[in-house]
Amino acid sequence: MRVFLTIALRNLLLAWRRSAFLGVAIAAVTLLMVLLLSLSQGIRDNLIFAATALTTGHVNVSGFYKTAQGDASPIVTGAAEARAVVEKHLEGVDFIVDRQNGFGKVVSATSSLQSVFKGIDVSQDTRFLKAVQLAEEREYVKDGRAEVIGSAEDLAKPNSILLFASQAKRLEVQVGDALTLTTQTFRGMTNTAEVTVVAVAKDLGMISSFHVFMPPKTLLDIYQLKENTTGVIMVYLDDIDRANEARAELYKAFEDEGYSMMEYDPRPYFMKFEGVMGEDWRGQRIDITTWEDETSFMSWILTAVDTISFILIAVLTIIIAIGITNTMWIAVRERTRELGTVRAIGMSKRQVLLLFMLEALILGFASTVVGAAIGAGIATGITAAHIAVPIEAMQIILMSETVVLSVNLGHVISAVLVFTLVTALAAAWPAIRASRLQPVTAIHHID
Amino acid sequence: MSSAIVELNDVIKDYPLGKLTVHAVRGVSIRIEKGEFTAIAGPSGSGKTTILNLIGCVDVPTSGKVSVAGSLTNDLGDRALTALRLHKLGFIFQSFNLIGVLNVFQNVEFPLLLQGGMSKGERAKRVDRIVEEVGLTAHVKHRPNELSGGQRQRVAIARALVTNPAIILADEPTANIDSATGHSIIELMKQINDEQKTTFIFSTHDQKVMEQARRIILLKDGVVVDDNAQNGDGQASGAAGEKLSGTDEVEE
Ligand SMILES: Nc1ncnc2c1ncn2[C@@H]1O[C@H](COP(=O)(O)OP(=O)(O)OP(=O)(O)O)[C@@H](O)[C@H]1O
Ligand SMILES: [Mg+2]
Repeated sequence: MRVFLTIALRNLLLAWRRSAFLGVAIAAVTLLMVLLLSLSQGIRDNLIFAATALTTGHVNVSGFYKTAQGDASPIVTGAAEARAVVEKHLEGVDFIVDRQNGFGKVVSATSSLQSVFKGIDVSQDTRFLKAVQLAEEREYVKDGRAEVIGSAEDLAKPNSILLFASQAKRLEVQVGDALTLTTQTFRGMTNTAEVTVVAVAKDLGMISSFHVFMPPKTLLDIYQLKENTTGVIMVYLDDIDRANEARAELYKAFEDEGYSMMEYDPRPYFMKFEGVMGEDWRGQRIDITTWEDETSFMSWILTAVDTISFILIAVLTIIIAIGITNTMWIAVRERTRELGTVRAIGMSKRQVLLLFMLEALILGFASTVVGAAIGAGIATGITAAHIAVPIEAMQIILMSETVVLSVNLGHVISAVLVFTLVTALAAAWPAIRASRLQPVTAIHHID
Repeated sequence: MSSAIVELNDVIKDYPLGKLTVHAVRGVSIRIEKGEFTAIAGPSGSGKTTILNLIGCVDVPTSGKVSVAGSLTNDLGDRALTALRLHKLGFIFQSFNLIGVLNVFQNVEFPLLLQGGMSKGERAKRVDRIVEEVGLTAHVKHRPNELSGGQRQRVAIARALVTNPAIILADEPTANIDSATGHSIIELMKQINDEQKTTFIFSTHDQKVMEQARRIILLKDGVVVDDNAQNGDGQASGAAGEKLSGTDEVEE
């Protein structure tokens, strides 16, 4: 009934101090929730972006080749044939690339670091070139120039290497410098290769700190592998949400084509190495994972952010709810005589309940919408301002050099709904009590 | 017999008050016919408000029977009592009890909205007519706090009248306004009673106000001590009036 709306609205306006106080509080928690959800989403987006650019397709076909117990090579033999299986059986594929895998030390004149080696064919792997931004020289060399030196396309040249800024800093190298790669071959010998830095890219959070990129030939040479061998076939889908289905489909396809399969294990590929070494089988086996499997070792970051957010929001929610309940109590007491009057002239219990709930819902909804809108605005503003994250450890956790708060409409709507609901629940008890007041006692209530 | 619009039979109302029990009404039997204009008089604490609450279906008796507009209220639950109040009764309160955030028009319209089933146009017509009847047409857009006490009580009368109730109950309607205005308020009620045959029952402990009534039921300590309808003189009797003024001096 419209008159209830009028009464509710005007009472809110009449008690404007109280309404404003509560409204600001409700808006503030909603705002905070939107910011925290946007932060979590920002990290997730950065993580997906960095991971899918550097280390994983939406779905990955990789495997191990064993010649003896205590030995395992992270390779897929018959790379072209395996790729043909993917192309034949999987639909909705955006594109497919393959990369070599390796692991070893990058040694400079002054320093060294452990890293995953990735063999990448830049003529094929255009997605990588788009995702990776080169750093200006001053970002990794003291007193360096404010311009980008080198080019990621130069990875097409033999024995070239692309590093990330934090690695270049640690190794104290710049574009044009030479580095030595050392690695244990899969047969236990130590091999080395000389490479030249052709490009230094901006960091992409945790993942970029332990990956270096080089032409496939460099890796094949270090490990003395045949040409038709690859590390991983990375498949990018039109729709990333289909990754799990695609994994199941590919598993079946490879099985049907007569490949030996590893049992599905939702851990990143590189974590399976040791286990496979100890197993007692020979030949090639295929392992298929999704991007989520490959990044699962980083999911603790999101879990931590989400947990801290949840606790913070929960505590604030309880405080706000107590505030709302109290305030509604005061409103009920102030208007007890009016309630008695309207009950006497024929308003039902349900209508009294409705009247008070309406008041709470109007206040709750208006405040949460305002709070959520401001929160979304602030998040968008902060992201657009490219505010630098000052601490490197934070950059690694946030997966970005600048603060990225990714606003998601679903999150904004759920923040509005959650806090409108909280307001309604907090108001329910006083409203129920109001509706149960005896008209006789209420009319004679002295305010 | 069945024409009585209000009938109280051996009504007792006790209030628990800590360990004590207050006997507010101790065995009252009253019959009020449709169209009567009745004052319930008596000193403070004599049970006037209690009896009006019982007739007004906002309270139920401890024992005895209360029947209002053909329904025995003892048997009714909250829902039915609410409906009875909404459709059969109108209330006028001592301190007006208007809804502060609504203007005059909206206050008067409110019971019609609770009843439902009337178009906006019909409602506006009805409200305008009644507001005119109580002489407040110039103030329809005003909020209660912009009106004088007398004006507020006129709004309350309009609000009580708007649903065409069978009975209008008024607990000390003139207690919070000056006596000249109070007189005109009772005259307005009386005029409506003449024209529309609405049954009015109001309480007062003011001698002058009481004398405006056609029937006076005099209470003392929760019992009826005089009722001029039963005396058969049909006018506000000197006897009842004297008894009241006598007790008034003792009580106040
Ligand atoms: N809710 C209650 N609880 C306890 N006692 C009550 C209650 N309501 C009324 N009483 C007592 O019942 C008696 C009758 O009260 P009631 O209000 O009906 O008198 P009244 O004639 O209306 O008096 P007044 O002229 O002061 O309004 C009084 O003694 C009063 O104290
Ligand atoms: Mg009283």
